[in-house]
Amino acid sequence: MYLSQYIEYTLLKPTTTEREIIDLCYEAIEHNYHVICINSSFVPLAAQFLKDSNTKVCSVIGFPFGAMSTQAKVFEAKKAIEDGAQEIEMVINLGFLRSKNYVSVFKDISDVKSAIGDTTLKVVLEISELNKNEIVKACEICVDANVDYIKTSSGFSKGGATLTATKIIKKTIKDAVKIDACGDIVDLETGMKYLEAGVHRIGFDAILSKKTKKAKTISYKTTA
Amino acid sequence: MKQLSRYIDHTLLRPTATKEDITKLCQEAKTFNFYSVCTNSCYTKHAKEQTLNSKVKVCSVIGFPLGAMSTKAKVFETTQAIKDGADEIDMVMNLGLLKAKNFTSITREIESIKEQLKNKVLKVIIETCYLTDDEIVKACKLAIQAGADYIKTSTGFGTHGATLNHVKLMKSVVVDKAKIKASGGIKDYNTASKYIQLGVDRIGTSAGIKIVTDK
Repeated sequence: MYLSQYIEYTLLKPTTTEREIIDLCYEAIEHNYHVICINSSFVPLAAQFLKDSNTKVCSVIGFPFGAMSTQAKVFEAKKAIEDGAQEIEMVINLGFLRSKNYVSVFKDISDVKSAIGDTTLKVVLEISELNKNEIVKACEICVDANVDYIKTSSGFSKGGATLTATKIIKKTIKDAVKIDACGDIVDLETGMKYLEAGVHRIGFDAILSKKTKKAKTISYKTTA
Repeated sequence: MKQLSRYIDHTLLRPTATKEDITKLCQEAKTFNFYSVCTNSCYTKHAKEQTLNSKVKVCSVIGFPLGAMSTKAKVFETTQAIKDGADEIDMVMNLGLLKAKNFTSITREIESIKEQLKNKVLKVIIETCYLTDDEIVKACKLAIQAGADYIKTSTGFGTHGATLNHVKLMKSVVVDKAKIKASGGIKDYNTASKYIQLGVDRIGTSAGIKIVTDK
């Protein structure tokens, strides 16, 4: 089994240049990563670069705060798809969730889902900000809204994925929605633990992987 | 010199902020006579409702905090925020374009947002913590050229906020062609007054109450 099919390779820092996006695309092609995850201003460039490859383009929207107006989230998503994105990753509205305004949390997600049709929708919960009840409730709303993936973290908060939270998510959603774990996952060993816990995707940051020099390990064949 | 509270955009931007937190923010702004409240765009409508019939203006952030959203999406978020009642828009500049020296795209983006505002105020956040001095100078010039009313130092979510040295540099470039808003890490009266002495016209802070009551 090659891990690369599970890898989502991200480059989201605000100072990212076009050159860095091109380099990201080259790396993704070289390692056969499943998808790259980028800010929406770079979607046309990345889509053009990756059009003859196996690697998909995922655009983040309302990112990383999730506190943009719902109408603007919908617009950003539709524009990203028009520009060539094959997946959309949105952040849940944490403030609405914290207030227990579940109707608004649901509407925010379902309006985006309706606007993008069959395009894969991932919703970032930002688990480092949530208590257990909020994680469970957020998962339930995502299932009701027919989301394709629940993602643990944006990578911009105080913490990333944890195995504990991943298990809570898995227990709540069972097989209704897939899980994408990311944030602080820097090596093969950790990635494997998450796959064993039932996640379907691992988010791996381009900058972090270079810092820790672990990038090459993640596309190695495993004995699993 | 105007009253201290009139320099302040009373700000609450953390992603976990609730509607109730925004209600409180608006109440405080009315009580302490702050110039405005500053919120994420999902709360613009609510902030407007809470400040109606008062002097308190409503600022909405756009493309916040990364500034890497597509231009058309930033423009749309702007028009929606205006419809929802925003009086001022604080947008984040696309820093990747600045680093790559793609200056035309930067001015085009700012101009297309300014076009939506007519007479309303546009502030452009340049996020000084990620920029060299040369980039700060260039960012100021581009923002002025594109019609920004204010150049704002920081989102408050970068590696650090405003510094006195950065604001001095900005002031030397901007002079009187635009105003400056200092934001990020301004938490007490002494700090706020240093920025005011340097010539900033607005301060973005969540510590407004402490600042005015410290004095």
